[in-house]
Amino acid sequence: MRGLLKRWSFWCLMILVLAALFGNRLFDAPPGAEVAAAFSKPLWLDRTLPPTLELALTPEKPSLELDWTYGSPSRFSLRVETAHSAPDRFVEWRIPDREEPFRLTPLRTGTELDGRDISFKRSLGLPPFGDASSALFPARGAYSLSVSGEGDWQGSVTIRLEGGRWGLLGTDQRGRDIAALFTAGIRVSLLVGIFATLLATILGTSLGLAAGYAGGWADSIIMRVVDLLLSIPLLPILMALAALWGKGLWQLILILSVFSWMGTARTIRALALTLRDAPYIEGLRGLGARTGYILRRHLLPETLPVLLATMTLGVPGAILSEAGLSFLGLSDPRVISWGRMLHEAQSFGAFTAGAWWMLLPPGFGIALLCLVFLDLGKYLEERVDPRLRGGGPS
Amino acid sequence: MSGYWARRTGSALLVLGLVLVLNFVLFRMMPGDPVASIIDPNFSPDAKAQLSALYGLDKPLPVQFLLYVKSTLSFDFGISFLTGRPVMEELRSRVPNTVALLGTSLLLSSFLGTWLGMKAALKRGSLLEKCVLWSGALSFSFPSFFVQLVLLMAFAATLPLFPLRGTLSVPPPPGGFALVRDYLWHMALPIFSLVLLGFGGWALYVRNLMVKILGEDFILLARARGLPRKNIIRGHAFRTLLPPLLTIFLLSLPGVVSGAVITETVFSLHGVGRFLLEAVTGHDYPAAGASFFLLALLTVACNLLSDVLYGITDPRVRLDRGAQR
Amino acid sequence: MIEIRNLSVTYSRMTGEGGNASADAVRDVSLAIEKGRLFALAGESGSGKSTVLMAIPGLLPRGTKISGQILLDGKDLLSMKEDELNRIRWRRVALVPQGAMNSFTPVITVGRHVEEVLSVHLGLSKRDSAGRILSLFALAGLDGALASRYPHELSGGQKQRAAIALALACEPGYLLCDEPTTALDVITQQGIITTLKRLSDEKGVGILLVSHDLPLAASAASKLYIMKDGALVEEGDPRTIAAHPRNPHTKALVNALLELEEDPS
Repeated sequence: MRGLLKRWSFWCLMILVLAALFGNRLFDAPPGAEVAAAFSKPLWLDRTLPPTLELALTPEKPSLELDWTYGSPSRFSLRVETAHSAPDRFVEWRIPDREEPFRLTPLRTGTELDGRDISFKRSLGLPPFGDASSALFPARGAYSLSVSGEGDWQGSVTIRLEGGRWGLLGTDQRGRDIAALFTAGIRVSLLVGIFATLLATILGTSLGLAAGYAGGWADSIIMRVVDLLLSIPLLPILMALAALWGKGLWQLILILSVFSWMGTARTIRALALTLRDAPYIEGLRGLGARTGYILRRHLLPETLPVLLATMTLGVPGAILSEAGLSFLGLSDPRVISWGRMLHEAQSFGAFTAGAWWMLLPPGFGIALLCLVFLDLGKYLEERVDPRLRGGGPS
Repeated sequence: MSGYWARRTGSALLVLGLVLVLNFVLFRMMPGDPVASIIDPNFSPDAKAQLSALYGLDKPLPVQFLLYVKSTLSFDFGISFLTGRPVMEELRSRVPNTVALLGTSLLLSSFLGTWLGMKAALKRGSLLEKCVLWSGALSFSFPSFFVQLVLLMAFAATLPLFPLRGTLSVPPPPGGFALVRDYLWHMALPIFSLVLLGFGGWALYVRNLMVKILGEDFILLARARGLPRKNIIRGHAFRTLLPPLLTIFLLSLPGVVSGAVITETVFSLHGVGRFLLEAVTGHDYPAAGASFFLLALLTVACNLLSDVLYGITDPRVRLDRGAQR
Repeated sequence: MIEIRNLSVTYSRMTGEGGNASADAVRDVSLAIEKGRLFALAGESGSGKSTVLMAIPGLLPRGTKISGQILLDGKDLLSMKEDELNRIRWRRVALVPQGAMNSFTPVITVGRHVEEVLSVHLGLSKRDSAGRILSLFALAGLDGALASRYPHELSGGQKQRAAIALALACEPGYLLCDEPTTALDVITQQGIITTLKRLSDEKGVGILLVSHDLPLAASAASKLYIMKDGALVEEGDPRTIAAHPRNPHTKALVNALLELEEDPS
C-alpha cells in the first residue's frame, strides 16, 4: 500500500475530501448567499474594475481612508446600526478635489440607504437618475469616510460598494460566490459518486455470486436481467426516472446504482464460476460446509481486491451521470452541484455576459475528480492483477 | 450454427418485449391520474371521455397493455401534449438531424481514433503514443457538455465564428446550396465537439488492442515468411483487429445516443435528444414514451447487429456457442 | 550450406526495479546445415537451441545482442538489412514453428496463408496458386479440402502438417523446424518425422530439427548437435554419441535412457 502514498491522485483526493468537509468555513457567507453583483469577475482578472467591498466604521475606528484607483462602483449602500441616535452627528464622505464633504446621513438607528434611493440622491443634491455612486466616486484618488463631531458615539456604520469584481472565482447570475459554490459542489459529486457505486457494487456482487455459484435457473434469470438492463440506454432512462419519480439526491443515487451493477455482476460471476470448481472449495463442500458459509468466508474475501479496483473505476461514471442529469436540469435545484452550476451558466445568460469564470471551475472540477479516481483505480487494478491470475490458494 | 442466431434473435426479441413492459409501466402507470399520462389533462371532459374510450383506458390493464403494444409496434405514438401534433410527425422531422449528427461524428471519431491508435502502437514510446495514452483518460473525464459549452463560448460568443444555436438559421436561406452551407455551418461545432470527445477513447482502445496483436506469435511468423511490413500490418494485424473493432463500433452506438441528448441541448439542435428532454421535463408522456422506445429499439438492434457482424468477421465465433453461456 | 560461426546471443531484459538483467542464451556456438541432410539440435528447455534457430532468419527481438556470423552460401545473414532478409525468408530458408505457437493468423484460412506467400514471393495469381496449394498439402500428408479451413478448425497434427506445407510453398533450400512434434501423440510424431526425412532425402532440403526429445532427434538425424546452457557440448553421428558420449552430461542422459530401455518392468 506504500505505493498509494506516492500517487498524486491519492493526495489530490485527500485535499478534495478535506475541502468538502471543511472548505466552506473558509468563506464568510453560506454558499447560496448573494455576496456581490451578478457576474462579477474574479479579483485577479481586469484590475481596472472596482471590487465589491464592505467597509465599516466603529467607535474604535471612527474614520476610514480609501485609495480608490478604479472607476465608480455600480452600487452604493449604507447601513447605520446604533443603540443611541445622535442626530447631530453625521456620516461624512470626502471626495478628492473637494473641500466640502458629503453629508450622507445623521447617525440614526436603523438607517439603511441605497444609492438608488431618490430621496438620498436629492439630499446630496444629485439628479434623480442613475446611481449615486458615480457622484460619490467621481475620480481616482483619496476618499475618506468619517463620523462628524467630537466625542464618543455608539454602534457601527457600514458602507457597501458593489463593483465588478469579487473573490477568487467571481460570482454567478445571482451574485453567489463561485468559489464557495465550487467548494460546496465537491460534496455532492463525492457523495453521489461513491454511494451510487458502492450500492451498485453490493448489488452486483450479490447477484454475481448467486449467478456464478448457484448456477442453473438463478444464473439464467440473472443474466437475462443483465442483458435487459444493458439494452436500455442509460441517460434516457435516468432522465425519465428523474423527471417522473423526483429529482432528489437519494433518488438519484438509487437510480444510478440500479443501472450500473451489471458490469460488476458479470465480473464476479466469472470469478465465482472459476472458484466454484476449485479443489479447496470442493473439499469444503465435501466436509459439509453450507453454501452461505462458503460464500461469506471464502468466495467473498477472494473477490474483495477486484471489487475495490472495479468500484474505484466505476466512480467516475457515476459522477459524470450525476453531472449530466444536473446539467439537463433534472436535479434538485436546492442542491449545489457542479453539473447544476453548468446548467445555470447555460440557462441564465453566462454566455451573453461572457462570464467564462462560471463555466470553467465546475467543468475542471468534474474532470479532476474523474481523473483522480481513474488513476487510483488503475493503481488498484495493477496491484490486483497478479493475485487475480493466481486464483485461490494452491 | 443457425441455432446460435435463432437464440440471439430470440434473446433480442425477449429484451424488446421487456422494454415494452418497462415503457408501459413507466409512462402509463406513473403516480397520479393514469388518464393524465395519455390524454392531456387540459382537454375538456367530453374530449377526455372520447379519447379514453379510443385508447381503451376503461378496459382492464392487460388489455390496455396489448393495445399499447399494438400501437407502439405500428409506430402510432399518440399526440404530444406540448405541441398537439402526432408524436410520430414530430419525430419524423427530428430523426434525420440526430442521425446526421451522430452518424457523422461517430464515423469521423472512429476513423481518426483508429488511425491514431494504430500509428501509436506502431511507434511505441513516441510522443504520439504518450498523447494517445492520455487522450483516452482525458476525453472520458471531461464531461461532454463542459467541452461543448467552452467551445460554444469561445467560438460562437467571444469569437462569433459559428452560430450560437439551432440547426438552421431563422429564417433558413433559400436555395439548395445555401441551405446546405447553412446547415453545415450550424452543425460544424456540434460535430467537431463530438469528434474531439470521441476520438481519444477509440485511439486508446485501438492502440492497446494493436499492441497486444503485434506481440502475438502469428505476427512474428508473418515476418518469418518474408512478408513486407505493409502486408503484415494490413492483412494480418488490422484484419485481426477488425472483429472487435466493429463490435465496439456498434456497441458504442447506444452510448452515442445519450450524447445526442446533451449535444442537442447545448447547441439547441432540432433533434430527438432535445425532444426527449423537453418531453420528460414537460411531462409530455406520449412523446417521452415514444422517444424512449425508439432509443431502446436502437440499442437492441445495435447489440444484435454487433453480434451478427462479429460472427461474420471472426470465424472463431461461428461455431455453435451454446456451451459457452 | 548454412554455416553458423561463433554465434553468441545475449537477451537484454528490463527487470522491474529498473535494472538491466542480461541472460546469455547462446555462447559461441558453431554448426552447419547441409542440403539433403537432416541435422538435429537437441537439449533441455532453456539450453538455447530455439534461439539459435530463430537467429537464422533474423527473428530475435530488437535489442538482442548478437555476435558471430551466420553464412548462407557465403553471405552473412546477420549483417543484412530487413528488405534483403525478406527476400531470403521463405524462399531460401523457411521455418516450421513450434506446434504450441499460434503460428497462423486466426482470421485467415490456412490456404490463404499459402496463397499469400506464393503471391508475394513468386508472383503467382490466385488461380495459379490453387493447384500448387493442393500439391503442397498432399506433400505434407494433408487432405486438400482443409485449405479452406480456419486454423482453429484443425487438430494439432493437422496444423503442424499445414505449417510444413506452408513452409515448403516457395521450395526453400533449407527448413528450420522448431519442436515440430511437441504436444502431439506418438503416431502423429512419427508421421511428421517420416515426412521430414523424406523431404531431406528425396527433395534435397537441408533440415535443422530442434527438439528436446533426444531419442526422437537421434532417430531422425544424420548428424546430432547437443546444447546445454547455451553452449554446444556434443556433436556427431547419433549412434556414435549414444555408444560413446564424450560429455558427462550426455553420458548421464544416455545412461538414463538406456536404463529405461533395459528395465522391463
